[in-house]
Amino acid sequence: MEELIKTLKQQIIEALNLEGLTVDDIDTDAPLFGEGLGLDSIDALELIVLLDKHYGIKFTDAKTGKAVFQSVRAIAEYVQAHRTK
Amino acid sequence: MNENQQDIIITPQQVLLNGQSLPTTETGEALLTELYKRFVGDYPKFYKMDTLCRLGFIGSELLLQAEKSERFLVKNDRMIIFANKSASIKNDTDYLQTIQADNYYPSPALFVYTLPNIVTGEIAIRNNYRAESSFYVLQDEQTLQKLAQTTLQSVQTAHSALVGWVECESKDNFYAHIKIVWKN
Amino acid sequence: MGIYCVAHHICSPIGATSQANFEAIMDGKSALRLHSDRFELVEPFCVSLFDEPKSFTQWCILSIEQALQQTQIDPTSQRVIFVISTTKGDNLQLSEPAMQIQAHFRNPNLPIVVSNACTSGVCAQITAMRLIESGACDTAIVVGCDVQTPFIVSGFQALKALSQQLCKPFDKQRDGLNLGEAVATMIYTNQKPDKLCWQLVAGSICNDANHISAPSRTAEGSFRCLQEILPYAEQIDMISTHGTGTLYNDAMEAVAIHRAGLDEVPIGALKGFYGHTMGAAGVLETIISMLCLEHKIIPAARGYEENGVEYPLNLSPKNRDLDHEPHDLIKMLSGFGGVNAAILLRYVNE
Repeated sequence: MEELIKTLKQQIIEALNLEGLTVDDIDTDAPLFGEGLGLDSIDALELIVLLDKHYGIKFTDAKTGKAVFQSVRAIAEYVQAHRTK
Repeated sequence: MNENQQDIIITPQQVLLNGQSLPTTETGEALLTELYKRFVGDYPKFYKMDTLCRLGFIGSELLLQAEKSERFLVKNDRMIIFANKSASIKNDTDYLQTIQADNYYPSPALFVYTLPNIVTGEIAIRNNYRAESSFYVLQDEQTLQKLAQTTLQSVQTAHSALVGWVECESKDNFYAHIKIVWKN
Repeated sequence: MGIYCVAHHICSPIGATSQANFEAIMDGKSALRLHSDRFELVEPFCVSLFDEPKSFTQWCILSIEQALQQTQIDPTSQRVIFVISTTKGDNLQLSEPAMQIQAHFRNPNLPIVVSNACTSGVCAQITAMRLIESGACDTAIVVGCDVQTPFIVSGFQALKALSQQLCKPFDKQRDGLNLGEAVATMIYTNQKPDKLCWQLVAGSICNDANHISAPSRTAEGSFRCLQEILPYAEQIDMISTHGTGTLYNDAMEAVAIHRAGLDEVPIGALKGFYGHTMGAAGVLETIISMLCLEHKIIPAARGYEENGVEYPLNLSPKNRDLDHEPHDLIKMLSGFGGVNAAILLRYVNE
């Protein structure tokens, strides 16, 4: 799990162009949206692509995504349960 | 407050601000990042922008820093009128790479930049400009300058315009000439 | 000086002339269909497509020719300029097709392409007005067009902006937009024809300065556009909205209309017939709105059933009669890049 969390953080930094941030800068349990990293609706959509590309997880609408993207830990748990690759 | 030259030219090799060359070390897209780090630094959204937006953004930043404390006040009287010949071709090409049949993951973040007028939106957001923002695809910069004059004269509420010719064909091939034009 | 529309033409999947399109609208027709095998995309999508495969450039030339035939205007004149409204042009090229169109009509002036996202069709009309008012030309030929491609559809799918059903502008159940193809032309001149015609009275373009893809929740730019043209309005008979059927666009427009105090004005929303025709939308929807008002009809908002916005608008799923002679029409649009645009047109005699 910790390994997956680390990998996810790295992938998020790359996919969302979070220049200057390192894996250690992202709090595993902090909310991803709103405050914190300052992510917006396009970032949420880009996270959906990330999960499809790397883990074969498909979201049909953006709403499901929002529920999963509470924190990096929440994403990791969802990935572990639903990944197809 | 008009006659002083207020313009900037950025090429992959050099930057000319109000006619003066700025010493820089990088070239191409790295030059834009160098300028961002040296002169802005606190606007991470820069890294999300495509090259065309980075070019227009950093050009307007360097040009507008002279306005100091007045800079970020909401302005309803300054327009943004930009143009080029190649529209958003560099970013269009990047987006196309994400929809190849054997590697089909269309990127929403890239797709939103496949419109050339997004650069005017980025500048409007950064500076709180709520007046007109327009983007044209034209054959030459002279046509833009004429169109900008026509627009300034016809929009009663406008006092000035950021007028920019921003061309970006690849990360190593771009050109920006941005100036502040005041109503006569 | 007045600026008048002396000719117009529409070619869309539901009609090859402006009149045919108007009649199709009256009959409630649409070419919006769910396609599951088009463009080899995985997800199905609902779209309105031309039957005939023509390029962007060919569509523009066809439409301009049809519009010019209604007039005595000589496109080779120094006093004529082409203003082209598009977002993706001919296979991502905008500049070259514009030159091909200009060359086809042997026009001596460099063409102007307006590429201001989804507002382009209204912005192009504003540009035409300014060019004529400033004396740069006497006639501006405005053509708006976009053809659909895997590029565009995949992008809107990635943004989760498309509905897989027929779009439902301003409706409670709305869940996204449909894309569409069309070409439309309007010819504006400073010579008033000796008949009833539409005058372009005022126009405004305003940025939200808020977000590059999300509409402003306070409708900042859209409201300011309305505010800027309202002093010129006399009796507004219809506001033809953008009405894409996405959650946020329609909510935003309702806020703008409410803030401008226009809640009572009948609303036009045409995307349920055509889908979002992008660069064509502003031109196409202006023409259809003009024709409907000329026939004293407020067109049905196809797809709309039940109010789904914070400030209810004066909308109907059926055609409605206008009980007086038409006077003013507002056409408004909003697009990516935070840009909004609105124009005011007036039906004038002498």
